Amino acid sequence: MCALYPRTEALPGIEDTDLDGFLRELRSEAPLLLRFGLFVAALVFHLTPLFTIGRPFPAFLLPKEQLDRHAARLGECQWYWIKQAIFLLKLACGLCWGRNPVVRERMGLAPYGPDSNGWRQK
Amino acid sequence: MRGTHVSFRSAVEPAFEAEADVVVVGSGAGGGAFASYLARQGLVVGVVEAGPWIEPEQYPHSVYGAMRDLMDDWGMQVTLGRAFWPIVQARVVGGTTVINSAICVRTPADVFDRWEREFGIGRGSGRGRLAERVWMHQEALEKELSAEEVPLEALGRSNALAMKGARALGYESHYMTRYVERCAGSGQCLQGCRKRRKRSVNVVWIPEIIERGGFIVSCAPVESVTFEGRRAVGVRGRFLHPKTRERGSSFQIRAKRAVVLAASPTKTPLILWQSGLRHPAIGRFFRAHPGTGVFGVYEHEVDHNIGATQGWSTLAFRDRLGIKLETLHIPLELVASRLAGGGRTLMERLARYRFFAMWCHSIRAESVGRIHRTFFGKGIVRYTLNKEDMRRLREGVYLVARTHFAAGAQSVIPGIGGMPFEIGPHEVERIREASLDPRAYVAILSHLFGGAVMGADPRSSVTDEGGRVRDCDGLLVVDASVIPSVLGVNPQHTIMALARCFAEELLGG
Ligand SMILES: Cc1cc2nc3c(=O)[nH]c(=O)nc-3n(C[C@H](O)[C@H](O)[C@H](O)COP(=O)(O)OP(=O)(O)OC[C@H]3O[C@@H](n4cnc5c(N)ncnc54)[C@H](O)[C@@H]3O)c2cc1C
Ligand code: SF4
Repeated sequence: MCALYPRTEALPGIEDTDLDGFLRELRSEAPLLLRFGLFVAALVFHLTPLFTIGRPFPAFLLPKEQLDRHAARLGECQWYWIKQAIFLLKLACGLCWGRNPVVRERMGLAPYGPDSNGWRQK
Repeated sequence: MRGTHVSFRSAVEPAFEAEADVVVVGSGAGGGAFASYLARQGLVVGVVEAGPWIEPEQYPHSVYGAMRDLMDDWGMQVTLGRAFWPIVQARVVGGTTVINSAICVRTPADVFDRWEREFGIGRGSGRGRLAERVWMHQEALEKELSAEEVPLEALGRSNALAMKGARALGYESHYMTRYVERCAGSGQCLQGCRKRRKRSVNVVWIPEIIERGGFIVSCAPVESVTFEGRRAVGVRGRFLHPKTRERGSSFQIRAKRAVVLAASPTKTPLILWQSGLRHPAIGRFFRAHPGTGVFGVYEHEVDHNIGATQGWSTLAFRDRLGIKLETLHIPLELVASRLAGGGRTLMERLARYRFFAMWCHSIRAESVGRIHRTFFGKGIVRYTLNKEDMRRLREGVYLVARTHFAAGAQSVIPGIGGMPFEIGPHEVERIREASLDPRAYVAILSHLFGGAVMGADPRSSVTDEGGRVRDCDGLLVVDASVIPSVLGVNPQHTIMALARCFAEELLGG
């Protein structure tokens, strides 16, 4: 996730947001199918550097610059199943990154209030 | 029981039982319009809804919260076919009216002509009568739901730019009329209008139904309709906790006069099957208006999340090409999934977010899909666009891109696989040569039709033209499932007015 949305000069990366809290929420709340999809997508991300940048290592072992090249190329991949997997991963990352108040401020958006998680019981 | 709301009951509580004159399953556009009409005629209406009742002040702010709290299956249902395109619907009191943009368009006359020609609808009651009744109800609904053109102060730059582009190209377009009273332009329609400006079913009709002596049962997915002989006499199911998914106690609600299904095109067919009905047309003739979006990149900040979520539209290409263009403010959280790339490349693209304007189009697709029931009782939708519809989808991208350029965009991001990430004005014709493979597009389905269609032919239609289910008594379908064709315009106004026509017929009016 950090490789897909890294910190740059212009913007905070996903590592600057409460990623752990988000993953905890996702684990406890998201439906099984979504969690499974994300697990598969993460596997795809880690197991494909050979095809994107010709390195026979899982993505988590790549140095920073190579990891970035891998993320960029995978994000452009047109092979449908891979494209869908990365789409899902980027969507999940976006849910965490885009609700962060610092990111929102940089984008000229008001911060979100807390989600109430409530409903009418009466 | 009258005038109340009942929510989740745990499995240790006794089974819940109630009785109403009419039981309506689903509280969205169709169910809400139908139930409120009957409640005004003095009937006791019980509305049974699978999702929870969430007040606007409790709506989540974030997209994560909206997916979790408001959407059916977290918005993760997809079509099964050549491509996996998301099918977005809500699961909450108020149905999809809670998360839609409230755009209100009267049913075009050609829709009724087609219904009569192809499905024999309207013949029985005299030509033109259904059209006139629908339009009469639409006129009343517009007053009831405060249909208003987006006020100038709520437009934001994106909607205004689209108007500028259309004018430069010389085609007719307009600012949207929506069921919204004094829009504040917060751009949050898809997460629910926390400001209560959008007149969704949960805000307007559900409180009225309760006030008039009806009742609402929420967190209560109906499993099946119960029958005595051929007559539908009620519904049953089991409460479901909206957060923990824990199954609660069972419920049974009896209907003295009729049971009415309005659970949406993907769910109503399932309830019909689970109730033992086996009409061969159940689940068939599923149709949709697939749509996709195109970013324009401007020299100056557009801040497209400020202003009405969908404030501009054109019907100029509807009749000839079957394409409708609209603006659409896509929340920040969802932008990256629409941009190719990852890592620093993606972040550089995201850094230009404030200069983007997202406009989209939806097509009047003639492709037909089918709803199936899996072994586990869940519904799946098989649907793939044919070549002709894919040409429409691609042409829509081209029209949106041209409008962006006419409005002054420096480049557009067509979002079609195999094309460059970004193209300039001199490259716009390249879109017309882009792939016609559905896998090259990120489209979504938000306007759904069919699955329990109405018609004159008893073999190919599940209901007659009054929404009455064949082969049984006292069972109606009043949501988008009955609509046998695509409309080419936003559907909720048609769904609501049609539901009101059916309600009138039930009362013998
Ligand atoms: C993002 C988005 C934006 C849109 N914008 C517009 C717009 O601006 N204008 C427009 O005209 N249309 C718009 N639409 C489409 C429009 O909202 C829908 O076509 C319309 O709401 C469908 O009405 P319905 O009654 O068929 O179903 P819904 O409104 O979806 O209602 C169905 C209800 O039934 C409930 N239900 C399902 N299963 C069960 C069960 N087993 N038991 C009990 N209850 C059940 C669901 O929880 C839901 O509340 C939009 C749709 C989306 C997704
Ligand atoms: S733009 Fe904002 S204020 Fe206007 S209807 Fe949508 S959510 Fe409500």
